[in-house]
Amino acid sequence: MPEVSENELTASMNDLLDQLSTRLIIDGVCTLAPADFVHIANDAAGMGLAGFHNIAQQIAADIAGTPADAIPELTRIISSGLVELRRQLDEPSPSSDIAPPASAATSLDSHQETASQAHGGHSLAADEGLIREFLTESTEHLCTIESQLLVLEHDATSADTLNGIFRAFHTVKGLSGFLEFTELQSLAHEVETLLDQARNLVIAVTPAIVDIILESTDVARYELDCIAQRLSGKDALPSRVTPELLQRIRQAVLSQPASEPVASAPVVIDAASAKPLVTQAPPVASSPVAEPVPAAALEVPVHEQAAPVQSAPQERRGADTSSVRIDTGKLDQLMDMVGEMVIAQTLIQHSPLLDSSKDPMLQRNLTQLARITADVQGIATSMRMIPIGMQFQKTARLVRDLARRAGKQITFEAVGEETELDKTIAEQLADPLLHMVRNSVDHGIETPEERIALGKEPTARIRVSAYHNSGQVVVEISDDGRGLNRQKILAKARQNGLVQEGSELSDAEVFQLIFEPGFSTAEKITDTSGRGVGMDVVRKHVQKLRGRIDIQSTAGVGTTFHIRLPLTLAIIDGLVLMVGEQRYIAPIFAIREVFRPTPDILSTVHGKGEMVMVRGGLLPIIRLHRSFGIEPRSTSLTEGSLIVTESEGRSFCLFVDELVGKQEVVIKSLGRRFKDVAGIAGCAILGDGRVGLILDIDGIHKGRS
Amino acid sequence: MLSTISTNTAPPMPLDIKSRAGKYLIFHLGEEEFGTEVLKVREIMGLQDITVIPQVPEYVKGVINLRGKVIPVIDLRLKFDMPPHPYSERTCVVVMRTQNEDEDLLVGMIVDGVVEVLNLASSDIEETPDFGPGVETPYLTGIAKVKGKVKILLDVDHVLNSNELNGLTALLQ
Repeated sequence: MPEVSENELTASMNDLLDQLSTRLIIDGVCTLAPADFVHIANDAAGMGLAGFHNIAQQIAADIAGTPADAIPELTRIISSGLVELRRQLDEPSPSSDIAPPASAATSLDSHQETASQAHGGHSLAADEGLIREFLTESTEHLCTIESQLLVLEHDATSADTLNGIFRAFHTVKGLSGFLEFTELQSLAHEVETLLDQARNLVIAVTPAIVDIILESTDVARYELDCIAQRLSGKDALPSRVTPELLQRIRQAVLSQPASEPVASAPVVIDAASAKPLVTQAPPVASSPVAEPVPAAALEVPVHEQAAPVQSAPQERRGADTSSVRIDTGKLDQLMDMVGEMVIAQTLIQHSPLLDSSKDPMLQRNLTQLARITADVQGIATSMRMIPIGMQFQKTARLVRDLARRAGKQITFEAVGEETELDKTIAEQLADPLLHMVRNSVDHGIETPEERIALGKEPTARIRVSAYHNSGQVVVEISDDGRGLNRQKILAKARQNGLVQEGSELSDAEVFQLIFEPGFSTAEKITDTSGRGVGMDVVRKHVQKLRGRIDIQSTAGVGTTFHIRLPLTLAIIDGLVLMVGEQRYIAPIFAIREVFRPTPDILSTVHGKGEMVMVRGGLLPIIRLHRSFGIEPRSTSLTEGSLIVTESEGRSFCLFVDELVGKQEVVIKSLGRRFKDVAGIAGCAILGDGRVGLILDIDGIHKGRS
Repeated sequence: MLSTISTNTAPPMPLDIKSRAGKYLIFHLGEEEFGTEVLKVREIMGLQDITVIPQVPEYVKGVINLRGKVIPVIDLRLKFDMPPHPYSERTCVVVMRTQNEDEDLLVGMIVDGVVEVLNLASSDIEETPDFGPGVETPYLTGIAKVKGKVKILLDVDHVLNSNELNGLTALLQ
């Protein structure tokens, strides 16, 4: 009985840590105050987790001692602190109970000492280029290792996968040895030994082994961060490669054959019949898996073992496509030049001199040139595109960890990993993606018991997929959990005043409500505890990428989120318009309609504020020529055009002289010196080679006087 | 206005006369002739359509497209508080390469006309005379006399310092 309550304690502490890390990711580091850590430290003390208490206190002190604007520093303290805290929780609870505060502190200190001895005085500056390359390369290896491990967990017999992981660790070991990063080298060495045993079928790949290797990759990643820190001239951080960790890896090797005769026995016979191993991987929750793995390697309480996460088979992984690393600056330059080439080509093609020319050869060559230019432009644009698979891998890892912690069984499927989208979008999609998957696991998916009671498969399914659709990238996240509860959302919205009593809303409208900021903090739509971070943040992220997000959900069957994103941030559809002699570009996505007003729909308020009646609603008019202080062709509203647009939910009209037409333009920055200009989001080079400014509708609306 | 600005930025490093010798591009604003190091000139182009940027100081005329790069253009007459002059056939844009905070920036300067490229020996160059209070010369590195005519040598990095433009933009808001 006490065992159970202790597990619950650990789980609730884990929840707290989750909350903190979510806030770190989504809300930014500044929102975390020392008080947050003091708070969990006190909680931990109340539960008798002395080690945890000490570390949390230490983090609180560190944060308090760091200036609030030192963002990278704070991020480092908090993120490494969270990792440390989680490790404390995963430690066998008895020992942390007994461990007196003093010893915990000293053990930290001793790490610090070894670290500083190891790094003492030796500067990294000499091999900077080499080390930078090492960092990128090792990070990539760690990513591969992580994704391969998840495959391995699902299919423990895959020799290719195992070999892949082995090779990756081997490379990291070699490189770090060469560059004298001894901690990393010894870590990689131990894991390599472990993997070698597995490769030679001396030991079986159990979830425990996968766990310890995953933990090692985390530590290795942290070590890489430390090296990066040292490279940028900061003080060396204490290494996380502790003798204790190395010992645990070693023990994972030693302890296994003895403790798991059943598993290891058939394996030793021959490689071909290694199938029996798989049977260990997916245990059913209701029958507590008796994996009698003792020793330090496996402190995970039994109830957390119940959730294996399977990754969809990833055929693409094996095939290494050859690639060249290119500086993004060069890519941008290439884009610039190609843009110019297209303009030059258009100018030539439309030269009146050519129109009068009767030479068919010349015409043919010009057509050829046009085609080639278009192809080159296409390739140049596609060079910034990367497959989305990388983001999905991160998600797979998160689902695995969360599912284990929450005691849920979840299969993770990723589809369309090769779908390409702009690098920036892919990177910025990571946070919302992780957040939504976290939401699904926490709120959407029921526990195995509940699922069985509902007559569903005990193993739930989360599926992320990506595909191209009509010039956009669609990313879908679907689960087969309990779905959104329309009634509860509506009730909550009425309570918050988001919805008027008696108004009829469609399902889609109701579901959109969960993206309202008011819903974030206390929402309990799905009965489990709220996370403190709302879906409004997710929507904000997606909107920043000029995308939109929709929900489909059926109660009891599941929920699907559709995120629609542009293929690239570099190009927008714009409406080119004129004010005086100047041309501006309004992003099409911000425009609702365009018309030329007639005198009867115009009116003024106090003789100043101008309004126009559009479909029964009165909209204020902002004159662009006044906002920008330029001379218009005509100040009479009836001689120009009005563009209906909106900012922060308020519609208004922009008055311009003339509309020129719709055009796809490549967005360029105006550079640092003009970054503060209100109402201008950037610029683009138009078809005739002149520069047009892109309007920032929000900025114009804010700047109206 | 100029004096308030110059307090924001470090005064130009006093260069010794020797290092100032070299090739200079000479251009003129009205009757005054100015010189700038040829090595910093990226190119000279005729006046083209300038896209006006709102809310910037008057001397910042806007931006132009230089083969795919969008660069700012300033009117040097207005920058130096000289009376504006209608642009003519001879008016041109001198595109300068300037350094600012480890970043290479291209900036166009509108001048009344380009005169010549001169090889100045250190013996041709003199220190900037003290014009007394009221005449601030923060942008000058020296004065050259060639064949009886005076050329004012400019520290272009200082003239086109982007921080200063940024500062002004911020002030105007």
